Amino acid sequence: MIKEFIQGLSITFKHLLPGHSTTVQYPKVKLQPSERFRGLHRLVPTQDREKCVACYLCPTVCPAKCITVESAENEKGEKYPKVYQIDLLRCIFCGYCVEACPVEAIEMTGNYELANYHRDDFVFDKQRLLNTK
Amino acid sequence: MVNLTIDGKQVTVPKTYTIYEAAREAGIDIPVLCYAKKLLPFGACRVCLVEVEQMKGRLIPSCTTPVTEGMVVTTTSEEIRKVRKTVLEFLLVNHVVECPVCDKGGECELQDLTYEYEVVTNRFVGEKFHYPTDENNPFIERNMNRCVLCGRCVRVCDEIVAHGSYSFVERGFETKIATAFDRGLHCEFCGQCVSLCPVGALLPRPFKFKARPWQLKEVDTVCGYCGNGCTLTLGVKDNQVQTIRFNDKNGVNDGNLCIRGRFGYSYVNSDQRLTRPLVRKGGELVETSWDEALEAVANGLKDSKGAGIITGARLTNEEFFLLKRLADAAGVTSLDHSGGECYKVLTEGVKDVLGLTASTGTFPQVETADVILSIRSDFYETHPVFGMVVNQAVKRHEAKLLVLADKKGKFTKLPNAETLLTRPGLEVDVLNAMCVALLEGGKARTEGVSGIDEFKQAMAEFAPARVAERTGVSAEAIVAAAERLAEAQKGAILLGYGLPYTPASRELGLAAANLALLAGLADQEEAGLYVCGEKANSQGAIDLGVLPKEDGLGAQAMLAAAAEGKLGSLYIIGEDPLTTYPDGDRVEKALANAGFVVVQDLFLSPTAAKADVVLPAASFAEKDGTFTNAERRIQRVRPGITSPGEARTDYAIFGALLEKLGAQAPAGPAEVFGELCAGLADYPQIGLDEIGPQGVVWGGEKLAPKTRNLVAVGGGKSAEGRFLLTTGSSLYHSGSTTTHADGPLAAVPEPYVELGREDAAELGIKDGDSVTVKAGGVDLKLKAKVGARLPKGLLFAPSHFAGTGLNRVFRGEAVVAAEVAKG
Repeated sequence: MIKEFIQGLSITFKHLLPGHSTTVQYPKVKLQPSERFRGLHRLVPTQDREKCVACYLCPTVCPAKCITVESAENEKGEKYPKVYQIDLLRCIFCGYCVEACPVEAIEMTGNYELANYHRDDFVFDKQRLLNTK
Repeated sequence: MVNLTIDGKQVTVPKTYTIYEAAREAGIDIPVLCYAKKLLPFGACRVCLVEVEQMKGRLIPSCTTPVTEGMVVTTTSEEIRKVRKTVLEFLLVNHVVECPVCDKGGECELQDLTYEYEVVTNRFVGEKFHYPTDENNPFIERNMNRCVLCGRCVRVCDEIVAHGSYSFVERGFETKIATAFDRGLHCEFCGQCVSLCPVGALLPRPFKFKARPWQLKEVDTVCGYCGNGCTLTLGVKDNQVQTIRFNDKNGVNDGNLCIRGRFGYSYVNSDQRLTRPLVRKGGELVETSWDEALEAVANGLKDSKGAGIITGARLTNEEFFLLKRLADAAGVTSLDHSGGECYKVLTEGVKDVLGLTASTGTFPQVETADVILSIRSDFYETHPVFGMVVNQAVKRHEAKLLVLADKKGKFTKLPNAETLLTRPGLEVDVLNAMCVALLEGGKARTEGVSGIDEFKQAMAEFAPARVAERTGVSAEAIVAAAERLAEAQKGAILLGYGLPYTPASRELGLAAANLALLAGLADQEEAGLYVCGEKANSQGAIDLGVLPKEDGLGAQAMLAAAAEGKLGSLYIIGEDPLTTYPDGDRVEKALANAGFVVVQDLFLSPTAAKADVVLPAASFAEKDGTFTNAERRIQRVRPGITSPGEARTDYAIFGALLEKLGAQAPAGPAEVFGELCAGLADYPQIGLDEIGPQGVVWGGEKLAPKTRNLVAVGGGKSAEGRFLLTTGSSLYHSGSTTTHADGPLAAVPEPYVELGREDAAELGIKDGDSVTVKAGGVDLKLKAKVGARLPKGLLFAPSHFAGTGLNRVFRGEAVVAAEVAKG
C-alpha cells in the first residue's frame, strides 16, 4: 500500500520539477492558438467593399441569434449589408456562421482577448469586424 | 369517374383530371416547375415525368397527360430520379446560381428541387445567360439570367390578365422570355407574373433586398381597397408590411391581385401617417392627448343644433356596428356613408325591383357564364380582379362579352367582346331600350313579374330606334344584345360602382335590375346581377344599415345643411369629402360653416386640415374584424402590424367614445360580430372564429329575388359641346387612399386628363403636355394623356387626386361640357 503511495506521488513530484510546468506566464507570454481556433469574427474585405452579400444565412443559422444583418442596394445595384452586427455577449463561438457563409465573407480569427468594461463595447459593427486582423 | 393506381394507391378521379392532379388528390407529391393550378397544362419543364405501365418505353409528363381507366402510374423510381436530376442539371447549365443575392432564395422552386435531388455537380458545361436586367418600371424587376423558361408568366398574362405582355422569342439555346420588341414592361403592373415565377427571374422591386422569405411573418387578411375582397397575405417584419405574399389557398381571388393589392400596401408604413390626436387651438392644429380630443368629440356629438356622421366604407363590419350604437347613444339620426350617395342609392334602386341590396351570385360563377354584360368599361378599373374572372370566362369558356360604355377599355379588347359605345351619361337609356326591346320582341321572361303594363306605357320613349338616335348605339345592336342576354343559359350583368360614378345611381340600379329580371337572370341557378361597391366594405355598410334614420339627413343633405350653418357638428370618418365628393365647393362651405368638425383618418387629408379635431385612425392592416365583399362574402381581417404612435383603430375610438357618452363599451370583435349577426336576418349565425379561409357567403351562393317588380326609369343626362368631360376611376388607384401609396403613385403620379388620338392630333397635344381644361366655370391644369380608349369629343379625368378641383366641376352631373387648350 505504501509502495503504491510513493509510486503515485513520484509522478506528482516529477511534475513539480522545473521544465515540467505547463503554466504560461500570461499576459507576458501568450500562446499561439491553433489554426482552427474559433476566436473573434472578422469580415473579409475585397477591393472596394466587404465580401459579404447580405444573404442572411448567418443570422438564420446562428443558434444564439447574435448576428443582425440589414441588406440594401448599393449604387451599383448590388446587394450589400447596410448593417452587420455581432453581439459578442450572446455569441457562443460555434462557428456555424463561418460554415454557412456561401461566399466565405466571414472568418474567425485567433483573437481571444475580448474582455471589456462596457456592454456596448461587445457589439461589433461592420466597420469593427472589417478592421479585425 | 376514372379509376387508376398511383404508387399502389387506388384513386378515383373525374376524367378531366391529369395524372398530376390525380396524384395530388391522393396526397402523392410529384415535383413541378411549370405547372400552376390556375393555368392550362403546358408541359415545358419535364420535371414531373412519371412512368405509366401502359406506355412503357418512355416517361410521361404527368401534368399534361389525362388519366385513363386502369392506368398504373409509378411516380418515383431510381430511373425517374435520375431523369429528373438530369433535367435539373440541364436547367442549371444556363441558370445563374446567385442564390445569396437573389430575393427568391428560400422559396425558390428550382432551389428546392436541386436540394431534393442532390444536384451538387453538373455533368454539363455551357454558357451562362448574361442578359441585362429590365428595370424600366418601378414594380417588376426582370432578370432573365435566372429564367428557366417555364412559361408561367407568359400564360398567366395571357390567360388570366389578358394583357399578353410576354412571349417566348428566339429558338433553341437563345430562347428567352421577352416583352414586345424587348423594350421592357409597360403593362398593368398587377404582378401576377411575379407571384407565379418559380425562380427569381421576376421579382417585386419594392421588396428588393429587404428580407428573406423565412423571416417574414405571414398574416392572412383582406385587401382594404376595393369591393373585391381579395385575400392578402401580408409579409410582416419589424412591424412593417414588407411585401404581399402569394397565396392561392384562401379566399375568392385564387392568388390573383391587381397593382393596388400587390404594390399599394406602402401607405400603411407611410411616415405621413397621423400618430397623435390634433385639436385646433388659436387657429392651429396642435397635438393633444386622446382624453382631451375624445372629450371634445363627445361634446360635439351632443350639439344642440344636431350632429351628422359621415363615414367611409372601408371600416370593418364590427366598426360599423359600433358606429351605429354610438350614433344611438349620442342621439344622432343623421348617419350616412359614401357621400356621393352612389352605391347606397344604387342598391335602393335594385331593391325596388328585386327586393335585394346585393349581388345575386358569387364571383366564380361568372367564369362559366355564357353571356356577360358589363355596364361601363370602367368595371375593370374599379374591380380588376373580378375583371380577371371575366377575362377567363371570355378566353377560356368563350363567353360572349357585351360592354355598354362611353369609352373603350380593357374589356373591349377581349376576343368575343362587343362594345355598345354610347354618348356619355346615357347608359341608362340603352339599358331601358334593352328592356323595351325584350318586351316588344316577346323574348322577355314575364311570369311572376308585376308592373309590366305600367312599365310598357311609361317606357314608350325608350324604343330602341329612338334611343339609338340619342345615344349613338345602333338599334340593331341594342336588340341583339338584349336578346343574347335573354337567351343566355347563364348570364351576368356587372355593375361596378363608386364615388366618381354618382350621377343617375338610382336609375342605373333600377335599369340594371329591370333588365336582369326581364332577361331571366334573376331566376338563374347561378350568376345574375352583380352590384359591386367601390370600397372594401361598401356591401357591409349597406347590410348593416349605416344609413340615416327616418328623421335624419343623408350625406349630401348633411353637407347642404352644414353649408347653410344649420348643422352643429360634423363627424367624418375615413373619408376625404373635399377630394372625392361631388360639388367640392359646397363641401368646403360645409366644413367652414359647421360649428364643429371632427375628422378621423390615416392622413392629414385636405378635409382633416380644416377640422377642429383630428383623430388618428388605423389602416386595414392593423384591424381585427370582418369585411363583406361585393359577392356577399364575409371574410376575416387580421392585424399584421401595430399602429404608429398613438393611432388607434376605429373600433377602439368608437369604444372610447361610447364610454365617454356613458354607454357600455364593447368587449371584443368576436362578441360584437356575434351581436351584429344576431341582428341581421341574412347573416349566418356563426362565431368569428368559424369563418374559414374561404369566408362565408351570406344568403348562400345564389340569392333569389324577393320581389319581381318592374319599375319605370327615366333617362340619363348628357351634355352638349365640342368636348365632354367625364370622370371615373383609374386602374392604378382606388379612392384617395392610393395617392399615399408609393406603388400606385409610381404608375400614375399625378392627375391627368385623357383624350382620344383624333382630338389630340387636332389640338396638337402630345402625351405629357400640360393642358388647361375649362369646365363648369373652373380651370383645371392637368397633364394630357393620349390614348386610343376615348372616342372623338370625350375627355376623361380620374377622380383620385386632391387639389385638382375636379369635384368642383362635377356637382352631380355625369358629363359636363368642357374646353381644352394647350398650356
